[in-house]
Amino acid sequence: MEMIIGGAYQGKSSYAKKQFPDVKWKCGAELTEEELLEAEGVLGFHQYIRKCLKAGANLSGLTEKLAEKNPGVVLVSEEVGYGIVPADAFERQYREAVGRVCTELAGKSSKVTRVVCGIGMVLKND
Amino acid sequence: MLVVVTGGSGSGKSAFAEDRVLSFGEARRIYIATMQAFDEESHRRIRRHRRMRAGKGFETIERYTELDELILPKNCVVLLECMSNLVANEMFREDGFHPEVSEKITEGVRNLLSQAEHVVIVTNEIFSDGILYEGESEKYKEQLGKINCNLAEMADAVVEVVYGIPVWHKGGEKA
Repeated sequence: MEMIIGGAYQGKSSYAKKQFPDVKWKCGAELTEEELLEAEGVLGFHQYIRKCLKAGANLSGLTEKLAEKNPGVVLVSEEVGYGIVPADAFERQYREAVGRVCTELAGKSSKVTRVVCGIGMVLKND
Repeated sequence: MLVVVTGGSGSGKSAFAEDRVLSFGEARRIYIATMQAFDEESHRRIRRHRRMRAGKGFETIERYTELDELILPKNCVVLLECMSNLVANEMFREDGFHPEVSEKITEGVRNLLSQAEHVVIVTNEIFSDGILYEGESEKYKEQLGKINCNLAEMADAVVEVVYGIPVWHKGGEKA
């Protein structure tokens, strides 16, 4: 598994597409769990988490499922936890869930790259 | 030694900070908890943190303000969590809003450093949501930002935890 992370509008998707020209990319906002478990690459993975939370779905166990069923997937996800704690309860839950899930996934990933201004910095490369 | 651990929400700062404290070896470990529980969500957070710390030999001191007056046992190792709560507690008080707290809190950290063997402080990166907040919230950001800069200047190591991965801004693993 591999992750490409970073703030909004930092060129994460273009970076990912350049790094993996042969990968078929799916959009996180539109994926079902089944599709996620079969996807080669996911853009906007944070939106998948948001969609699940909106639907009241439980995210626990997602990391293990992905690691077992789709260990080669490339996940592109936005870092959303670098602001003031939101006043809205759902937004707080979302922000924290993205952090927790991505921390677990980063632990399982062989490589994690953070993109700032289109430039990738490798944070982890096992 | 002072180690400052920063990062975004849900990024694994606490787990990393606890590991740093354990890496200092056997010592009397003091956990300074700065979060006041107002509602079920904060109780849940506190319970989660207690579960994470369980079995690691921490004594918990709940300290919401006045770090500058805290007396610690000799030669202890301190984990303070978290600076963003402490700053909010000092600013948003029952007797009103206190806009200037960065000096007092920095002094409070010096007080810890003068007594403890090692201090690990968890703080928070809250500065990048691109929203200009009005009044008190913007002032809060400014004060926490100032304090983080002061801490980093005093620190032997500053580390940003990104989804559990340490990114060292000052010092390093062996600092």
